Amino acid sequence: MRLRNPLRHLTLRLTLIYIALFCGSIGVMLGVAYVAGVWRPLQVVEARIQDESDELVRIFETKGRDALILALDRRANAPSLRMPYHVLIAPNGAVVAVNLASWPVNRGEEWLRYEFDTYASGSEEEHEAVVRDVLLSGGYRLLVGLDTEDLDEREDLIEEALFWGSGMSLALGLIGGLVMTWAVSKRLESINRTARAVIGGDLSGRIPLHGSGDDFDQLSATLNEMLGRIEELVSSISRVSDNIAHELRTPLTRLRAELEELAASTDDRAEVEARSAAALDEAARLQSMFEALLRIARLQSGPRGDLESVALSPLLKDAVELHQPAAEEKGQTVELDIAPDLTTPGDRDLIFQMVSNLLDNAVKFAPAGGTVTLAAGRTRDQRVEVTVSDDGPGVPAQDRERVFERFYRGGQSEPGFGLGLSLVRAAARHQGADVRLEDAGPGLRVVLTFRA
Amino acid sequence: MHVLVVEDDARVASHVVKGLKGEGWLVDHVADGRQALFQVASETYDVIVLDRMLPNVDGLKILQTMRASGDSTPVLILSALGDVDNRVKGLRAGGDDYLAKPFAVSELLARVEALSRRKGVVQEEATELRLADLEMNLLSRTVTRQGQSIDLTTREFLLLEYLLRNAGRVVSRSMLLEAVWDYNFDPQTNIIDQHVSRLRQKIDKDFDPPLLQTVRGMGYTLRA
Repeated sequence: MRLRNPLRHLTLRLTLIYIALFCGSIGVMLGVAYVAGVWRPLQVVEARIQDESDELVRIFETKGRDALILALDRRANAPSLRMPYHVLIAPNGAVVAVNLASWPVNRGEEWLRYEFDTYASGSEEEHEAVVRDVLLSGGYRLLVGLDTEDLDEREDLIEEALFWGSGMSLALGLIGGLVMTWAVSKRLESINRTARAVIGGDLSGRIPLHGSGDDFDQLSATLNEMLGRIEELVSSISRVSDNIAHELRTPLTRLRAELEELAASTDDRAEVEARSAAALDEAARLQSMFEALLRIARLQSGPRGDLESVALSPLLKDAVELHQPAAEEKGQTVELDIAPDLTTPGDRDLIFQMVSNLLDNAVKFAPAGGTVTLAAGRTRDQRVEVTVSDDGPGVPAQDRERVFERFYRGGQSEPGFGLGLSLVRAAARHQGADVRLEDAGPGLRVVLTFRA
Repeated sequence: MHVLVVEDDARVASHVVKGLKGEGWLVDHVADGRQALFQVASETYDVIVLDRMLPNVDGLKILQTMRASGDSTPVLILSALGDVDNRVKGLRAGGDDYLAKPFAVSELLARVEALSRRKGVVQEEATELRLADLEMNLLSRTVTRQGQSIDLTTREFLLLEYLLRNAGRVVSRSMLLEAVWDYNFDPQTNIIDQHVSRLRQKIDKDFDPPLLQTVRGMGYTLRA
């Protein structure tokens, strides 16, 4: 992709900031090197020249010209790490003593750094010296200095390092920054493209992975997972709304038909009664379904904070007692295994409704003469667990998530809206509890795990 | 008997008023919260049917005002907010019963009847309930019909007691569940019917005429 207005890219801005910081640190480093390696030694050299020249001036003033020439010779020949230089010029301009190749003819500043070349060993050598230019009494001019070529070289080196270091950093940094910006933009663009497709309504789009497992891949994988979840939810919502529409349409159609016939048959008393009773039944069924749907929606709107402590053992016995006649009608045995004095945080009516729905299902699906079991106890982490099992056909593993969908009835012919388990799950989550289905081999086991 | 209906939806109100009048009630109707406050302060009622969401003054506010001024008239709260939390809120504010919209008028009538009797709670505690040849002794906890003793489980006894206390009136399944089992939920299925049919087996099967009748689309009634 092309980089339009490159400064809008975070990567490039970060690179530029980084380059600036890097150049700054090079500057500081070389600055320290300059102070320690050039400036300080120059100070030392100047101090030494000051001392030596003061001494020479004193010799000239007290012992005269010849003593100074002697002292200059001695100084020039004394072993020293820095080559000492001097020039003594008489008032008439004649050079009296010298070991310096050249010097500024007119006197200027007292202190100067002076560059000159020598041809001592046949080849040209560059030299630099720090020189003090003093006027002596009687018109004599004395220049005293020390060689500082090494310091000059060091200074040049530092300057060069500064130039190349920051220059190369800047160039490489810019190139790197542009490459990085391009690479990151490319990855971001692929995420952007997918997001735009999703905004456009195509929920099946996924971000292509690089395969390197880097942080962008990880982000993309997470986003893909999120998209998968959203796609699943949306398709389940549209399935549910289809179901709702269908489930409402049928009884509404029947209700309307009953009422139409009722309107047309006002002379037959028995017919009128039968029709209105049927219409009332339909209305009651619709109302009950509608209430269950509303209830699920309200429960799903969020978990509850203020839960009371519910005494579970008597509640479970009540629930079983409520369903006992239905079970007995089918010749089923209800087995109880309830630990005494169980309490759990929850809502009493909701828990009763959940257990009641589960028992209702169990009785419905256990075969005639079968067994329904209700057990309750504490798990190892002290949460209360209630299980309801039957020895019916069970639910195949691949359908265990779908049975929680509203109106899903798995093609079975038992009466009901297919809302029971949806309500159980909504109620469970509302109270911070969990519900899961297990294979009871044979049959189905539903496990409710309450909050600790 | 005098009842006040506070309901802002004209159609719901007209059904409720018509139903109550049909049962022989003297009915006042107001559609607005402020008017309701005025009416409650100036008249004495046996029961008040109060919609929760009203123009001007909220239903719960009216209820709290009444209770704060020492008015203990039984109140049936009507609400489109049918879930447990709202029910509890309504009852805590001083409501005596709660009915979620949409409701069947028959259910409302049954509940208003039940509330009107609650007002005279001081009625001396009967030790015997009787309907035709069916007798229930609350002390010895025995039931006889035509002099023959009938063996009931504890729950069946409670069920019959509630039906006897409401003899002649229709009681809905959820009223039975609340009164006899003390749980508040919509059973969706026919579990209550099965308990009732067992009770019917015991009190009606070998006797004539049948007393316990099913009212289609509404509930049950015990009637001679």
